[in-house]
Amino acid sequence: MSMSGRMLNELFAQKLSSADGKEKIAEYGGSYIRDRLREVSFARKIIPPEQVTRADCQRSVNHDTLVKIVDVEPQSKALTMSFRGQPSARFIRGPKAEVAFFTISSEMFQKTEQELLAYEMPITKIIEENSVKDIQEIEDREFITHCDAACQALQTEANGGVSTALNQSNIALGAVVEFSVIKGELARNAAANDATVRPIQRPDIVNLFKTLDGNRLRCERLLMTEPDWDDILQWTLEDFGDRVQSETAVDGYKYNTVLGRPYVRTIKTDILRPGNVYAFTRPEFFGKFYVLNNTKFYIDKIANTISFQSWEDIAMSIINIAAVRKLELYSADANPTTNADSLLANFIPRDEDQLGAVNNRVDAGLKFPQVSQF
Amino acid sequence: MSTVQRINFEPFSDILATQRRDFVLGDKTLADPMNAVALVDGEWMVINNSYQIERATSIVGANGAVPAVAQTSYVLFAERGRTDVRAMGVPKMPLLFMGPFEGDTRIFDSTQSAATDGAPITYVGQPLQVATITIGTRKYTGLVGRTATGTTAIVGRVTRLPSNNSGKLRFVRASSI
Repeated sequence: MSMSGRMLNELFAQKLSSADGKEKIAEYGGSYIRDRLREVSFARKIIPPEQVTRADCQRSVNHDTLVKIVDVEPQSKALTMSFRGQPSARFIRGPKAEVAFFTISSEMFQKTEQELLAYEMPITKIIEENSVKDIQEIEDREFITHCDAACQALQTEANGGVSTALNQSNIALGAVVEFSVIKGELARNAAANDATVRPIQRPDIVNLFKTLDGNRLRCERLLMTEPDWDDILQWTLEDFGDRVQSETAVDGYKYNTVLGRPYVRTIKTDILRPGNVYAFTRPEFFGKFYVLNNTKFYIDKIANTISFQSWEDIAMSIINIAAVRKLELYSADANPTTNADSLLANFIPRDEDQLGAVNNRVDAGLKFPQVSQF
Repeated sequence: MSTVQRINFEPFSDILATQRRDFVLGDKTLADPMNAVALVDGEWMVINNSYQIERATSIVGANGAVPAVAQTSYVLFAERGRTDVRAMGVPKMPLLFMGPFEGDTRIFDSTQSAATDGAPITYVGQPLQVATITIGTRKYTGLVGRTATGTTAIVGRVTRLPSNNSGKLRFVRASSI
């Protein structure tokens, strides 16, 4: 059944006047939210979430929080020996990691019943949809923050336990080891340490593969922004070959893999900032993403004020930090510890309250032609 | 002398009437329970210019030190080392931010006189302020008494003395202004 936004707003307000109505609207909101969330989070494409229950989790004796303890593969090896020898012993032990749960919530949206009637668009439905996207954005932001922390931790280890600036000048001096974070070819040959994002080159992707493939892991997925992806469309005949170049010139790049590996693209350039490309192994080598409570929807009406909120309880952990690597297409340092070029803000996810900046300027009176009705 | 335990602050009033707000920790290492100066529930925090939270007083300084400027402080509503805090990429901790509440705390020193407007905690209704205190072997930012007149920010008033409340100080906070 289709209905206008105004009718939906009126029904929304009316239904909230009864307990049955509240339940129905909450159910509607809840089911809708779960569907959208699976579609849009790039983190979920890299680590598919697993549903867990309270029974799968462990409590703390110190406070009221939950973790899930994950076993990590134990070490083992084989050795050659003579007919008379015997193998060395290993008292077996497997590491274990705790994956902790936390909440991601929308804001508490509030509106009076009367003001709701002033909208032709189904504003409550739009906000429901947007709150799902907001939750998904924070999921992705957490994911990228963890990925970068993992890359930087391994990078620090490779540099002798010292956080070392990874920029063009240090690369030229041979003062830094590129291990879990590497620079692109154009960035390493730049004239200065700057925030300019250089187009991704085919060797950059191959070198990124090698950071995993050369460590008894295998790159199985790439993550990059749409602007960086667009630069792939600029690859030349030498990169693509005649057939793909012809196809790309007409239809764009239509394949699900690039250089044989699947990729994920995102338009969320305020979370994954352009110039950062990540490579991942398969999830079983990488980490865990648990959902304890799928998105819940709360709605209530007290007198004429309607309030609604949605939230989810999840856990996300990169347990094997060696299973993610990063390619930087800019020449400046993006190590949060060193921030040698003072340009870090260009490379890391924006603060939560800066996400989703408003593009239109209607509230500032900027629309053209500027007509107002009195 | 108070003692620090697993739970050091408990609301005694309905928390639905109080706005609990998570803020980014200025120093995320304070969320680590293995840190020798880890934050504990019931410590008092201020909001800095980056809209992040930090201890209201530097616990590196002497006992009795009060906040650098006469600003209000907010009580930390998260126990030491909570995993939900540490699970976040950028750890946040909840404060009892707005609205009145009554609570029981172990993070106080009834005998410590603050450097400014200091007075031991001796009577019900006495104003309370925030200062650096020592409990056991380490320092915290907790509640101390305040003179009836003074310039430091009042963060609450005594409603039940520790001697009559199993060693915990019960106080009421009427406003976060």
